Amino acid sequence: MTTLQSINVEVAYARPDTQVILPVELAVGATVAEAIQLSGILQQFPEIDLQVNPVGIFSRKVVLTQVLKAGDRVEIYRPLQIDPKEARRNRASKNKT
Amino acid sequence: MKPTVQAVDAILPQTQCGLCTYAGCQPYAQAIVENNEAINLCPPGGQETLLKLATLTGQNVQTMLTDMADKEKGLTAAVIREDECIGCTKCIQACPVDAILGTGKQMHSVIASECTGCELCVEPCPVDCIDIIDLPQRAYQPDTARQRFQARNQRLAQLQAEKSQRFQKAKLNNKTANTPTKKASINATLSARQRYIQDAVQRVKQKRQHR
Repeated sequence: MTTLQSINVEVAYARPDTQVILPVELAVGATVAEAIQLSGILQQFPEIDLQVNPVGIFSRKVVLTQVLKAGDRVEIYRPLQIDPKEARRNRASKNKT
Repeated sequence: MKPTVQAVDAILPQTQCGLCTYAGCQPYAQAIVENNEAINLCPPGGQETLLKLATLTGQNVQTMLTDMADKEKGLTAAVIREDECIGCTKCIQACPVDAILGTGKQMHSVIASECTGCELCVEPCPVDCIDIIDLPQRAYQPDTARQRFQARNQRLAQLQAEKSQRFQKAKLNNKTANTPTKKASINATLSARQRYIQDAVQRVKQKRQHR
């Protein structure tokens, strides 16, 4: 990219077996969606569906049209495996006895 | 000659674990240089770091070496048991180097190449789903860990500043709202509030009677 005004961000995704943090250089004013597209992370992990997986910056959920700042880390999240409320109930009933 | 803080920090392992009782490696380095703090407070650094620090600061550490061998801490990393994680973000807030990826009610994962094994995430986890495993070799890069630590501190300071700015602004707005022209509306809301509270008290009283 030869734009004079560019920013460096990262795009990250994590599974138990592999985790990646990909550096991306973007023009000022670029969005979260553009960073994800450019990073190539969607090709590397075909299971990611941006309609399903929420995205965020440093553990704060954001929309795909959010404009990025230098140093941001765009994160793609995965769902939980358990229902937290169900898990709490299970723990409570186990401890009762 | 006094070594620079930077030179001391460069020797430290950048786990940012706080076992030295300082907030991270850089603050400890600063204490060594500026307050003559002891150089044997870094268990993850072990004997190797101790010897390097000794050379740099010119301190004699022969007596400290056996003690350090005892308290030396091996290479570790955190791993989250995913079938137990409830997505509470407590560990993410505790991680000094942004090595955990996740957000509220979404899976949290440790990024293996970033984790320094500081163990600061273990205690805050309400469901105890974080294991600390021993590593055969170092997985993180100290330079990266240093950068992440600094970037995170800057980010948090920035957020804090924005927050207090918002608070000040809200406070100012409140003051202007107290001018006489707006007093009537405040009185109206005040009586409305009183009514609301009285109603609530009434409801509770009724409930008690019905029991």
